[in-house]
This record gives sequence, C-alpha cells and structure tokens, in this order.
Amino acid sequence: MAKQKKAPRVNLKQIEKIITGYRGQKWPLIPMVEEIQEKVGYIPPESIPVIAGALGLFPSQVQAVITFYEQLYTEPRGKNIVRVCRGTACHVRGGKTILKLVKRHLGVDEGETTDDMEYTLETVACIGVCALAPNIMINKDAYGNMNPKKVARLFERSGKE
Amino acid sequence: MEAVTITLNGVEVSGYAGTTILDLARESGVYIPTLCYDPNLASTGACRLCLVEDERSGALHASCVTPIAPGMTVNTNSPRVVEHRKKILELMLASHPDICLVCDKGNRCQLRKLAAEMGIGLVTLQRIPQNDVIEEVNPFIERDLSKCIMCGKCIRVDQELVVEGAIDYMDRGTMAKPATLNDMPLEKSECTFCGACVAICPTGALMEKDRIYTGTATNVVTTVCPYCGCGCTICLGIKDGKIIEARPAVDSPVNRGALCVRGNYGYDFINSPQRLRQPLIKVDGELQEATWEEALARVADGFGRIKNENKADALAVFGSSKCTNEENYLLQRFARGVLGTNNIDNGSRLYSAASRTGLGASIGYAGTTGSLDALERSKVIMVIGANPEISAPVVAYAIKRAVRFKGAELIVIDPRDTPLTQFASLWLRPGVGTDVALLNGLARVIIDEKRLDVEFVTRMTDNYAGWAKSLQNYTPGHVEKVTGISKKNLQAAARLLAGAEEASIVYGNGITQHVTGTGAVAAIANLAMLTGNTGRRGGIFALQRENNAHGACDMGALPGFLAGYQSVDDAQNRQRFEERWGCSLPAEAGLSALEMMEAAREGKVKGMLIMGENPVASFPQPALVKKALSSLDFLVVTDMFPTETVKFASVVLPAASFAEKEGTFTNFEGRVQRLHQALEPVGDSLPDVEVLFRLAEIMGSPMPYASHQEVMEEIEEMVPFYRHVAYADTDSMGMDWGDVESNSLGTRRLHKGLFPSGFGRFSPVEYTPPVDVSTDGYPFTLMVGSSRYHFGAGSRSSRSFRLSRFSPTAFLEINGVDAADLGIGDSDTVKVTSAQGELSTTAKVSKTLPQGLLFMPISFPDSPVYELFNTVLDPQAKAPALKSCAVRLERTAGDG
Repeated sequence: MAKQKKAPRVNLKQIEKIITGYRGQKWPLIPMVEEIQEKVGYIPPESIPVIAGALGLFPSQVQAVITFYEQLYTEPRGKNIVRVCRGTACHVRGGKTILKLVKRHLGVDEGETTDDMEYTLETVACIGVCALAPNIMINKDAYGNMNPKKVARLFERSGKE
Repeated sequence: MEAVTITLNGVEVSGYAGTTILDLARESGVYIPTLCYDPNLASTGACRLCLVEDERSGALHASCVTPIAPGMTVNTNSPRVVEHRKKILELMLASHPDICLVCDKGNRCQLRKLAAEMGIGLVTLQRIPQNDVIEEVNPFIERDLSKCIMCGKCIRVDQELVVEGAIDYMDRGTMAKPATLNDMPLEKSECTFCGACVAICPTGALMEKDRIYTGTATNVVTTVCPYCGCGCTICLGIKDGKIIEARPAVDSPVNRGALCVRGNYGYDFINSPQRLRQPLIKVDGELQEATWEEALARVADGFGRIKNENKADALAVFGSSKCTNEENYLLQRFARGVLGTNNIDNGSRLYSAASRTGLGASIGYAGTTGSLDALERSKVIMVIGANPEISAPVVAYAIKRAVRFKGAELIVIDPRDTPLTQFASLWLRPGVGTDVALLNGLARVIIDEKRLDVEFVTRMTDNYAGWAKSLQNYTPGHVEKVTGISKKNLQAAARLLAGAEEASIVYGNGITQHVTGTGAVAAIANLAMLTGNTGRRGGIFALQRENNAHGACDMGALPGFLAGYQSVDDAQNRQRFEERWGCSLPAEAGLSALEMMEAAREGKVKGMLIMGENPVASFPQPALVKKALSSLDFLVVTDMFPTETVKFASVVLPAASFAEKEGTFTNFEGRVQRLHQALEPVGDSLPDVEVLFRLAEIMGSPMPYASHQEVMEEIEEMVPFYRHVAYADTDSMGMDWGDVESNSLGTRRLHKGLFPSGFGRFSPVEYTPPVDVSTDGYPFTLMVGSSRYHFGAGSRSSRSFRLSRFSPTAFLEINGVDAADLGIGDSDTVKVTSAQGELSTTAKVSKTLPQGLLFMPISFPDSPVYELFNTVLDPQAKAPALKSCAVRLERTAGDG
C-alpha cells in the first residue's frame, strides 16, 4: 500500500474543448460539468475558473452548483465504486461489521479512494435487495448475504498483485 | 402600468402590477418582519420570515417574492402566520448558539430582535451543531459560521452589489455554508475586504476584526469618506468620543450600501498617536510646541515681512484636493485678497489638470458629464487608462453591475490586466503612451464607416470638418503599427462604441498623468462627441484621485482662475470678487504647483503656505522639492501629521480631520455632499476654515463670515454652477447640481449647461511618440498606480492600523520571462534605476504583465517611487508626467 498516490495530471485542453462545445447554449452549466465528469472521471477544481470564465459566472457560483449535487465530484474516483449498504435490513444483519471489514481491506474510510485509484468506498441507504442482506455493490453488481469470508474473497479476487 | 388592488389586513390598497406584497405593505405602513430581504438586493425568499396568509386560498406566501394579484386578501398577522413564523425562528435559533451575552453584535442583531419581538425565549428543540469560526489572518473580517442563519445576504451583496464573486454557498443541507472557492481563507480568495458583507449580515456571523475600540456605538454620524473621488457616504459609529466603526450608508445614491476596504477600515488614521495636536514653531532649527497666538503671530509676521520686502508674488499658496470646498474657497480668498497673489494651486494638478484643460477646451465643462446612474445604464462602457477597481471602487461596482446584470458590453483599454478585464467583451493592450493614436484610430474608423451621430455632430458641435481632416493619417494599419492593436480589434471596438444607444467612456490617471495627457483627454472628448455621448446619455467619466479634487478646482484654488473657473485676467470677473470682498485683486495669472517649487529653488518665491498637501512625497523628484522647500525663507504647513513636508516648515499648524469638521466635498460626478462633524478636533487642532479666519484677522484683513453657512452662501452666489446647492438643503445624501437645472436626467447639463458656448469643439490632436517609455540603457517601462490598501502619498493610509498591517510594503511587479532573464525570483530584492534616481524594492512575479513592462504602487512612503521620475510637464496642463518612466533593473539580494 506504500504506493504513491498518483497526482492526476489535469488535461485542461480536453476540458476547454468540452466547454467550447456548449457555446451559445442556454443553461449549459450542469450538462457541461456532467460531460466533463464523464470524460475526465471527475471535475478537476482547476477547471472551475475556466468553466466560470466561459459562462460569465463567478468560480464560487460554479463550485456552489457542483457541491450541491451528490453525483458531481471534484476529486478523482477509483476504477471501481464499492457501495456498502447501510439500510435497516442490512444493519440488523451485520452491515456495520461488513463496512468495517471493507474499510480494513481497502485501507480507506467512507468517501475515500485507495491510493492506487482502484476503489472508491461509499455507503448507500438501501439498494432494494433486503432479502439478501447484508449487501455490497461493486459498480453495477450486487453481492448478497455477505460475511467476513466473502468480503475477503471479494477483494482478494478483484484485488491487485 | 396597471394598478392592482388587494385587501391588506382588511384595508383595500393598490399598487402597480409586479409590486411585491412586502413592498406594498411597507408603503402602506404595515410591518412585516424580514431577515434576508434588502432593498438593494434581489429578493430570494430564503428566510421565510416574511410569510403572510392569503385568506382566500389559505396559502402562505413569502411576501418579499410574491407579487400582488387582484383580489388577494392578505393577512400579515393571522394566527397561522404567527405560528409558522415562530416555528421558523425557533428552528433558526436551534442551530444558533446562545451566546448573545458576549456577542459583539448586541442589539444590532436582527435575529435577536425578532426573537424578542415574537416572545421566543430559550429554544427546546434539539440543537443542531454548526460550523465554527474560520481561521483567518486578515485584519478585517472575522467569520463565525456557528451564528450563520443562511440568509444569503453576504453572498448576494458580494455578487449583486460589489460583483466580486468571492463567496457562494457550498455543499447542501446541514453542511451548507457560505464559502470561498475551495473553501480557502478570505485573504487567499478574490475577496477585496470591501466589508459590504459585514455591514449587511443580520447576525454576528460576519464581524469586523481587530477593532481598536470596542463596544456598541451610542451615536451615528453620517458623513463623506475622505479617500478617493467617489465620495461615498459613510456612517461613523461613535462611542465615548471615538469612532469605533464605519458603515456604508444604504440609501446613498453613490455607494448604495457598499464601500471599499479603505472606506470601511481606513478611518482610524484620525486616532493615530502621530496626529499633530499643538502648533509648532521652528526655533534654532528645531520644531517646538507653541500656542495658536504665538504661531499665528509668527505666520502673520513672516508673510507680512516677505510681502513688504519683496512683491506679493514672492508668496505662494498650495491648497489641497483633500480639504473642503469652503477651505479651498477661503484659501484662494486669502491668497488673492489678503496676500495679494495668484500663486495658488492645489494637489489635483498632479493628476487631473490634463482633464480640466482637455475637457474645458472641448466640451467647455471641466469634469465628468454624467452621474453614476447614467454610467450604469450605458449599453457600452469603454474604460481607458483607469483601474477603477482600485482607484475608484464604487465606479467599478457600477461598471460590473452594468455588464453582469444589465447586458452592457465593456471595452477595456489597458496594457495591464486589471480586475475589469474578466468582465470585458474586448480588451485592447496598446503600448504605453500610445493612447492618442488609438483614440484617433477609433474615431477614424467610426467616420469611415459612417457610424457617427450625424445629428448631434451637426447640431451641437463645431470644427468637425477640420478635425476629421486631421485624422487622415490614422488608418487602421498605421494605428496597428503604433499601438500594436490589430485592425480587427480596432474596428470591433469602434463598432461597439458607435453602435450603442448609450455609451460611456471612463478614464483615469493612466490618461491624465502622461506627458500627452491633455491631448488624450481631448481625443476622448472628440470620440464622445462624435458618437453623441456627452451627458445627454452615457457620458465622459473623469475619475479623480482625491475626494475633493473637483471641488478644490471649482473653488478657484488655481493660478489662472477665480472660483467657478472665472479667469483672473478678465477685469469683469475680478470686479465681481473685488466688490464682494472689498479689496483689489491681482490680475496676472500665478504660478502652478511645479512652477512654484522651481521659483522657490531660484529664490523668486520666498514664503509658502501649504494646506494639507505633502509635496515631498507626491511630487516628482523629491530631492528637488526638498531643495525648494529648504530654500524658502518662510514655510507654513497645516497638516494632520508630521509628514515629510512638515520637517521643512517654519510654522506647523495642526489641522482637524474630515470627521472633526463641517463643510462640503464635491465628488468626481460633481455631486456636492455635506460633511457632518462627528468628533471634537484632537488636541488643539483646528479646521482649516478656522485657521484661515484667524490668520486673516491677525493680518489685518478679517473675513466677515459668522458661520460655515455664510461661506457656502457666498460660494453659491459667486460660483454660477453651485448656485442651486442651497447649503441648508445639502444634506448627507448630497445634491447633484445637474439635477436642478432640469429634473429630467436625459437632458442634464449637456443641452443647456454643458456647452456654455452653445457648441462642443472638436480639437485635432496629433500623436507624438511617448518620451516616458523604455529607451537605450533603460530597457523597461515602469508604470505606477494606486494600490488597493493604500492611498495617495500614503500619509493617511500608512497610519491606518489595519490597512498598513495587511499591506505593509511596496513591491515591483515583473513579467515571468523578464524575471527569469534577469535571474529574479519572487520576493528577491531588486534595484530599480532611472535616469533620475534609484530605489530598492521587492520583486513580485506577475503572470499577466506583458514583457518589458513593470508596475509599482505609489503610496508607500518608504519606497518613494517618484524619485525615479523626471519633472517633464504636460505643456498645456503644466502637470508632471507621473504615470510611466524608463528604468533598468537588477537583482541585489535573494529572499531572506
């Protein structure tokens, strides 16, 4: 785990190109930042003044919109998004422990990304498969009936060398 | 517009469609509590305290954002309204700490006031913990977000009024808070510390930091800010004979609830321990304390002796663009009537003489032609040679509002990147000193493309043909060669300017302080007349550096003019004043400021009276000024501080500050505004008016005024364009004498008042290559200008505790490539050398300055930048070129 966190090089050229695509559009801010996030993976804070300048807004206004929406990120995210369910059903079936174990395996806290940029850990309120509680989602796949062994296997299997 | 009638608490009232329930209620005298509402800001309905019930539908509306509709039956105080209001307030209080006892906001807290009004005591709801104090090192603003109620007023005042955009909401729900970009401390953000957010915050969340005197003001005096030419109205909070705070006046037509960092925090120079409290007399080369009687007798004797032994013209008087109209009026009466000389000038010679001369010759009126309102209404605004964000902040606020909220287009013409460039549709960066070529080029494009205002030009101006012919050489190609502005950009700017229904041109010291200043001002006036924008709509806005530069000149503190620009060589003018004053007046125009100094060096001027100016710091070539002052037989200085100039005085008279006297200031628009005395003068100091009264009496020619009012009445009588300023009516909000001539803003000044001869006159101006830019051996062009946290020669701002602490030293801005070539890094000590002198300062590498250009702020007495300047005079305005000069640069020491 001693790997250096890769300081992501921000490709402002790419972002500027995306911004240009919105010239003359009405209410372009949200679709624009969504596209940036889609193509870059997140919305680099360095791009906020550029976005603001292009739209005739203040950087603080752009930041206000980005920080308001849960689905917009200003930090790079891991390749895989791990969501541990913290819903009621999962909670009574030991979801809290599962979360603790996942944290230990990944070495990160909630909302954080591993140094190798493989995983970002999040919690969700419910994913709708309470019958299989406790649950974990990795990207679009749900994993039910979790226990310590399964957690270990999950992260060993998809883990790195 | 259609009237809408509603029932308000059982009474039928009507208002225009679109009026909000709240506005109509306030008009009708019905009280509705509010927290997030402010008349200067757009309403958002954030706090919900202004809820009212529409009894017809049973709906609860936030009255600040709900327009009236026909048939509404509004109850502002129904049981449901009261219940909800109380609940809302309780919820706010649940996330607000119970520390009112020690909170400095005290009884000014609107949250506490409303809680008391509604009878809410301690709240039993579960507490919601809030964000806490933010660590900041700036000495101006303290943020304690635990007291924030999320009304958003700070954000809106920052974005809508000041248009700075340093803060906005961040995050959501219980995490939401007002924050800067990346949640940095204010000093690392765009924040300019104008203090508007502190003034508007309803609770103690935003407070003034590092106050010298604490406590709650027991008395508030409304007066006029003493710094720049904008003339903002400020409210001084007084407690125990001390000013403890300054706040913007919300209803001032100039500043509308905003100030700048100087206005808000810079007033405390009046409490400086360095204030002069006693008259001083030089005995054996040492200044010693004396009584007023001794000092004045000495002055009378000194001036009397010189006048008897020589001619009266061996005396000279230097008035101040910082002193009041009355003081300057009496000073010129003293110079002309008592001393008998026209050798009188004032400090604005150094920065606005070109404006006076250039505009006077073209439009016949020596100043700004419109009001700030007209500027904000303009559809196109051209800013040339000015950085109003620094030198005249409320003008910048108006420009930014016009751009951001009223769809105006902005053209910025400046080699330097200024805060306004990010608002500009077009930013032209001409070579330093090539403005005349650029302005002529613009005019030529407008004429060639037939975009001129033909009707205005034919009906209102003369000499058009002659002038148009003089533009022959200024083809876009030629202009591009001279200025570096491409043909395309030149045409774009010309089309923008000429195409606008209302256009304004704003210029400042970047025009007037060049050798070619007078010509450039005339070229600006030509352009404004060509496009029909001279005050009827749009206008020419000449920024003034100091608070009363306009007034000092209006009052005749000028060598060639009596009060009201009435030429002294006209016998009829003199006769009017002679009859009024009962004495004879000298007929020959006197010496201007720099000529006085030269005459003093040559021994022709032997005695001088300097009122409130510091020529050693503000004139070029301080060494020569010092030499001039020390060659005088007799020098009298009235000032608040022991300035560099005071050291040369034979007699020093302590002067009262702006807060300690009555009088009027005239701002850059020509608005005459009244000062109100807030404090007694410190020590034995006196207002300059009083000093002049006493001095005139001792010298045997008493001035028969019983009060200030009588002085102002005489000014009204003798100065034609102050005729309507009835002193008694000139309250703190001021009176704009243009309005009096015609109530309609559309026809102000220009049609009747502005062109006194009936016509504006186009005057040909030829471009001459600048002499104040880089040359052989001096490869850099150094530009100087104001800095945000300091002012003028710095004698006041450097004595303001917080301003001087936040920005204590001067610096030299340099382009990164130039810096690398010379091996200069950030914070290195560098030596700047010109043909005239040298100085040491600290380098600051700039990303935006073009190569070959350097920038340094004035106002730092420790780095007297004027050492580097020559005394080249603008031949018409007799003002020195103080904007740029040629220098070379070397690194002398690394950082630390």
